Amino acid sequence: MEKKTLQYDVVIIGGGAAGLTAGIYCGRAKLKTLIIEKTLVGGLATYTNEIENYPGFPEGATGLGLMDLFHKQAKKFGVDFKLTDVRSVSLEGNVKKVETFRNIFEAKAVIIASGGKPRLTGAKNEELYLYDKGISFCATCDAAANTGKTVMVIGSGDAAIEEGMFLTKFADKVIVSVMHENGKMDCNEIAKSQALDNPKMEFMWNTVVDSFEGEERLGTVVLKNVKTEEKIPVTVDSCFLFIGYLPNTEIFEGMLDMNRGGYLITNERMESNIPGVYAVGDVRDKFLKQVATAVGDGAVAGYGAEKYLSECEIFEQQILNEGKPSLVYIYNAVDANSRELLSIFKEFEQNHCDIRVSCIDIYKSDGLAKRLGVSNGPCAVWIKDCKIQKKIDSEITKEQIERICI
Amino acid sequence: MAEFTLDCLGEACPVPLMKTEKKMSELSVGDVLVVSIDHSCAMKNVPEWARKQGHNVEIEEVDDGEWEIVIEKAK
Repeated sequence: MEKKTLQYDVVIIGGGAAGLTAGIYCGRAKLKTLIIEKTLVGGLATYTNEIENYPGFPEGATGLGLMDLFHKQAKKFGVDFKLTDVRSVSLEGNVKKVETFRNIFEAKAVIIASGGKPRLTGAKNEELYLYDKGISFCATCDAAANTGKTVMVIGSGDAAIEEGMFLTKFADKVIVSVMHENGKMDCNEIAKSQALDNPKMEFMWNTVVDSFEGEERLGTVVLKNVKTEEKIPVTVDSCFLFIGYLPNTEIFEGMLDMNRGGYLITNERMESNIPGVYAVGDVRDKFLKQVATAVGDGAVAGYGAEKYLSECEIFEQQILNEGKPSLVYIYNAVDANSRELLSIFKEFEQNHCDIRVSCIDIYKSDGLAKRLGVSNGPCAVWIKDCKIQKKIDSEITKEQIERICI
Repeated sequence: MAEFTLDCLGEACPVPLMKTEKKMSELSVGDVLVVSIDHSCAMKNVPEWARKQGHNVEIEEVDDGEWEIVIEKAK
């Protein structure tokens, strides 16, 4: 089947908190925007039962409920949604391509908000029991099916302990495997003391998973004591893994800069190493991964993408002037000296109606200057046939300008 | 290249996934299964499972909180 090609201004890969916020900003700026999400719109936040630290919701919110509001807001601004997974991308150049199972989406800017996926333990037979076979990553999804049963939780971070406590509402017993010593957990103190007081919760300290066993379905988790090497088989009905996340960045390998863990590296404007490509949210190398910080990332990238697109248009139409002569003066509005030179260019414009003259204030945005390879004003750039012919960055005078513009 | 449908409306996890898995095993390569669901958690495990198996997956939001998961059996 032939893939159908569709054009957008901005394609956002991933519909979690960061992607949805970027979508809201792009949609509101009247850009034709598409969000591609491979499962449920809302991303990782929808796996969390309670979100208590997102401002504006003093009573708390459910992850699903909060993300539903984000989704509605993005839709209100005309953002399109496509629910499928991205197979490959090509990001270089002015037209970027994002390919899915049935479509090729062409975009001028791409915002990557692909988040992460649950980390596996790497223990023996793990792949045999994933999802419906007994190993789960979502307490909200699978808690009800474990009513009256015995389940195991791997991990001791906030997700592990909070979801573990949620599971005690359904399961008879929740056994938590913690790799640390007795009493040491990675979660916050409130969750920790609540969990330790919970009569349905049982802790197995100094343990990691050695193997998963069972017939059709998971029946036993064999733990290993990291100190004594002793193997402890535990009979369970299900096992929930909450041992962190890995970034979804395989398809960007070799294109975008990543850290050792595979997280995408950006500057504070969320720009990647390729112009017009941004990374936001959990997929980005950053200090704190929360809905609140994802929203900030998304807003920055959405705004940045809008600026980038309008600069693309100005650059092509006005600066390059379709190959016709163009003189560009790059100045800094806060610098008195470079402001004074403006009158020379105004005068030049009046005397040469065949040459397009543009004065660009670098103080507001340095995007256009960067495209011309100029980092500082004042600087005059002479362009013809869509190419830079000459630059002068010192002693800009009327005579000098007349001399280069031939 | 036949198309099959599976109605899982009103059913909670893990029922949609179990039904999907059973139905997919009866299909031939190239066949398409359309699963109707209205339980958001099935939106997580059904597409994830199907992709893990190597099938092609696309989802249509039919209505607010109602989806059709389109799975093309790839192997």
